Amino acid sequence: MLELFDQIQEATGHIQSAWDQSPQVGIILGTGLGSLVDQIDVAATVDYDAIPHFPRSTATSHRGRLVCGTLQGLQVMAMEGRIHQYEGYALKQITLPVRVMKAMGAKLLVVSNAVGGMNPYYRCGNIMVIEDHINLMGDNPLIGINDDRLGPRFPDMSEPYELQLVDEALEIARRENIVAHRGVLVAVTGPNLETRAEYRFLRMIGADVVGMSTVPEVIVAAHSGLRVIGFSIITDMCLPDALQPANVDEIIATANEAEPKLRALVCGVLAREAARGKG
Amino acid sequence: MHQLRAQIDEAVSIISSQWPRRPTTGIVLGTGLGDLAKHIATEATIDYEDIPHFPRSTALGHKGQLVCGTLASVPVVTMEGRLHTYEGYSPQQITLPVRVMKTLGVERLIISNASGGLNRKFASGDIMVIEDHVNLMWQNPLVGINDDQMGPRFPDMCQPYDAKLIDLALSIARRDNFVAHRGVYVGVTGPNFETRAEYRFLSRLGDAVGMSTVPEVLAAVHAGIRVLALSTVTNVSLPDKFSTTSGKTVIDIAAASEPKLRSIVTGVLEQAAAHPNEPAD
Repeated sequence: MLELFDQIQEATGHIQSAWDQSPQVGIILGTGLGSLVDQIDVAATVDYDAIPHFPRSTATSHRGRLVCGTLQGLQVMAMEGRIHQYEGYALKQITLPVRVMKAMGAKLLVVSNAVGGMNPYYRCGNIMVIEDHINLMGDNPLIGINDDRLGPRFPDMSEPYELQLVDEALEIARRENIVAHRGVLVAVTGPNLETRAEYRFLRMIGADVVGMSTVPEVIVAAHSGLRVIGFSIITDMCLPDALQPANVDEIIATANEAEPKLRALVCGVLAREAARGKG
Repeated sequence: MHQLRAQIDEAVSIISSQWPRRPTTGIVLGTGLGDLAKHIATEATIDYEDIPHFPRSTALGHKGQLVCGTLASVPVVTMEGRLHTYEGYSPQQITLPVRVMKTLGVERLIISNASGGLNRKFASGDIMVIEDHVNLMWQNPLVGINDDQMGPRFPDMCQPYDAKLIDLALSIARRDNFVAHRGVYVGVTGPNFETRAEYRFLSRLGDAVGMSTVPEVLAAVHAGIRVLALSTVTNVSLPDKFSTTSGKTVIDIAAASEPKLRSIVTGVLEQAAAHPNEPAD
């Protein structure tokens, strides 16, 4: 991990040449959730291609640029286009943007993703505020010689998602009449969807939803001392005894349909952050 | 795994040139337990960096040297400073020292580590004698073309930890009046500590969780070495009762429990010295 420090400096330098503000909040938008950036009062956009050491986004429905500007009175830097392990990237590459956000001044990371719902009380289109996660990706972005400038060798993971923010997001959801759950995300590599036997296994170990992202970014956020709030949109139900073939177009359509709810929750959480004068 | 043979031979020849004895026991000292090495009548210490193909130890609370000498009248070779997958090493690199020990003559391997307790009946500072393990490290040091000179393609794992050594360790703990359990160790890569959801998951699989030991045990079983593994439970993780963990706490608790571990290790070696021809089961 010793090479990261210089890479972060170089990427940061490039972004700062296009945008002279310091972000208070970093945002990573998942599958079908990119339109949140329409809410941002955009000051600059920077393509990943142009940023040294940034990976390119190759996934369906993911663009590949940083959108910098103002949202709810806070300076934000949003990744429009997420990078996934299943694209062949190392977890260190995937999480470099999180480290760059931290280096540029961010204190809070907002992550979102599209997931399969395994908790039978969930419904397609519902939102789950991520309370905790299980890393089943078979890898960890912190493997390697630790750079103590970036964070501790053995980061604590007792509260990777700030529980106060989880409560606040759920309160905003009630106020806005949005169905939102709190639950556990299990992350796998994919890219295949799970077998019925795998869904049974993942449910058995305590997960409510399954996805192919988010956990690497959150581990690095915890390592670097960023506060995190995470939202999952349940885009298909994965009930092994009544499993239907997954349709990626439908998943993306569901994500797009649910996107206004996510937008309301993110904006609500950020408005509270702004009112607190934090971020 | 074919290139391993040459690497092992080069490492062995350097070690033998500095310490010509034949050790019968190998010891791997885990987090915070390095003090045990001070009790060895040392005849040679060799830095890992002076041994060809040995990885360097980068982890907190770990030195990086091979301590060769006598403990309880038994010639021992001791790794002061363990290597972990979270340091970025492959499991093949991590287990090279075990293969080297085997070639030097080691028949018995004693491994120590620090772990997080998953079993709620455990208390911080307790010793767990590892009875079995679950490999959740997503890797295996035996992956690759097998070298049949070193061990079988499909090593049996019905008893990776020697039953007699487990019983002996537990009887020493009773004799010296400290708490020791037998239990199952779950190996993960780390380096982050577990989330609460992960603790709940892992507590259904085992009694303690740690970031080491499993690769070395796999290589030892493959090589036909009898294994005893001792875990110091440095914190019991109660996912429903919120608490944080730091690397320093783990090291401090492991260091405080070091005398217990030492009494088991010396007790086992005294027994070995008294019965040099004990059957390998």
